[in-house]
Amino acid sequence: MSIATTHPGGHAAEPYQGGLRRWLTTTNHKDIGTMYMMFSLIMFFVGGLMILAVRAELFQPGLQLMKPEFFNQLIGIHALVMIFAALMPAATGFANWMIPLMIGAPDMALPRLNNWGFWLLPPAAILLTLPFTLALFGIGDGALATGWTFYAPLSVQGGMGVDFAILAVHILGISSIMGSINIIVTIFNMRAPGMTMMKLPLFAWGWLITAFLLIATLPVLAGAVTMLLTDRHFGTHFFDAAGGGDPILFQHLFWFFGHPEVYILLLPVWGLMPHVLATFSRKPTYGYKAQVYSFIAIGLLSVVVWAHHFFTAGMPVPALIYFMFSTMAISLPLAVLFFCWIATMWKGAMSFETPMLFAIGFIVLFGIAGLTGLILADVAADAQYHHSYFVVAHFHYALFAGGIMGVMTGVYYWLPKWTGHMYCEKLGKLHFWLTVFSFNLTFIPQFFLGLAGMPRRIPDYALQFAEFNAISTVGAFILGLSQLIFAWNIWITVRGGKKAEGRVWESAEGLEWELSSPPPHHSWETQPVIK
Amino acid sequence: MNAEPTPSAFSDDDLRRRRAAARRLGWLLAAFVLGLYLIGLLIKR
Repeated sequence: MSIATTHPGGHAAEPYQGGLRRWLTTTNHKDIGTMYMMFSLIMFFVGGLMILAVRAELFQPGLQLMKPEFFNQLIGIHALVMIFAALMPAATGFANWMIPLMIGAPDMALPRLNNWGFWLLPPAAILLTLPFTLALFGIGDGALATGWTFYAPLSVQGGMGVDFAILAVHILGISSIMGSINIIVTIFNMRAPGMTMMKLPLFAWGWLITAFLLIATLPVLAGAVTMLLTDRHFGTHFFDAAGGGDPILFQHLFWFFGHPEVYILLLPVWGLMPHVLATFSRKPTYGYKAQVYSFIAIGLLSVVVWAHHFFTAGMPVPALIYFMFSTMAISLPLAVLFFCWIATMWKGAMSFETPMLFAIGFIVLFGIAGLTGLILADVAADAQYHHSYFVVAHFHYALFAGGIMGVMTGVYYWLPKWTGHMYCEKLGKLHFWLTVFSFNLTFIPQFFLGLAGMPRRIPDYALQFAEFNAISTVGAFILGLSQLIFAWNIWITVRGGKKAEGRVWESAEGLEWELSSPPPHHSWETQPVIK
Repeated sequence: MNAEPTPSAFSDDDLRRRRAAARRLGWLLAAFVLGLYLIGLLIKR
């Protein structure tokens, strides 16, 4: 099927292709956004299945289902898949779909780069997971077994799974850098007349800071893993103490990327929250400028706090004190965001549709991530909690409750805009309550496990940890199964359902709601003017 | 923020000018990324 469309301003040559060719060659921001979202959803389930296998093993003490080597591989690849192949693509999918609509642009500034950026992802995901399959046929010793952090010297000595992961991370990094460059130049060059930077929607602001963080830190990660590759195969000794290198250097390089990465995953969601909260509180966003300045402050601070991830590796006391206080300083702009979100709801005519439920759930649960993060930022306390399940629980409150529930907020909020159909509200609410219940059932016990001294990344544990582990595993399986409701709800919404209006939510503000639902294949053929 | 679609379409010239500016900035950012990567590789402790 090929429907010719006309589009003023240089797009006329691109026909509306149907079938596979459309998806392979498309340069349309909505198509590419949809592909990012689909890819993210698939990889979310792949990463989820991996960790359910891990939780099944941890249901009881002792080794029941798998060898420790395979357990280690599942943990490391779960993290890489969830971070690089589920959360980041979901945020990029949001950006592709929504930023041009929000700023009144006909498309992303560099559409072919956009297509290329997406199509790098599937080969990278295959590279990450292929060693599992190869090991089944007796080739190699499985996937990366170092945890997602690739710490040297373990990663220098590891099997070929490390090489696959290094290559995959390079490709994923290139894809993210392409996406980031495209988002920055789109926001700077493609805004509708009258849309000054201080009228830019907060979602676009959040993504702008994210994109700058990505291009500033991903090259450092790429450099670190390239050095790792040369250590493994070309006789260098960057991280090999026996050859005059330093394994701690790898930790510095990795976390120079790794800590901003947390904000890379969260800033797009923080940008989305004010839109949702304002819509369902029927009030304007509180503290627009305060939120913009907080985004910038968090972005700047995020690149100067990295060493709090390895306080226990040993460093001079002044360095410990600096990294402790600089880390704690992030809580100030973050608190500004929380106050703005709460003030947006204050005395509003609130209603509790699914996106609003997820947004409120996000605020409460992500707040727990922030508070437990303060505990871990304390050098003295961290000496006890480092490498324990307390850390695992903390960062899942940040990245599941903060990241993934934030993405779910966005999906429910914008799905009617994307598909032209309303999702099933009953299923959405069921999904929310099951997710919140089972998420807490999974991770609250892990705080107690960590406080009691259970180390992370072990397939077996002492008997004293059995009850909390059993509860956590039951929670994880309910959490995993609950996500099938999410997938089913998306499926039935894409297939049909009640028609959605252009302005899906009665009090939603912004350019994106001026267009029909779904928007035309080429949106903003006429230029909007912002007053 | 109020949006008011006007009858004027994006003109070819306007879009061409915006995309050219976007490409220039894109190459500049790509050079920054490559520079950061290479500097990182060449630093000797």
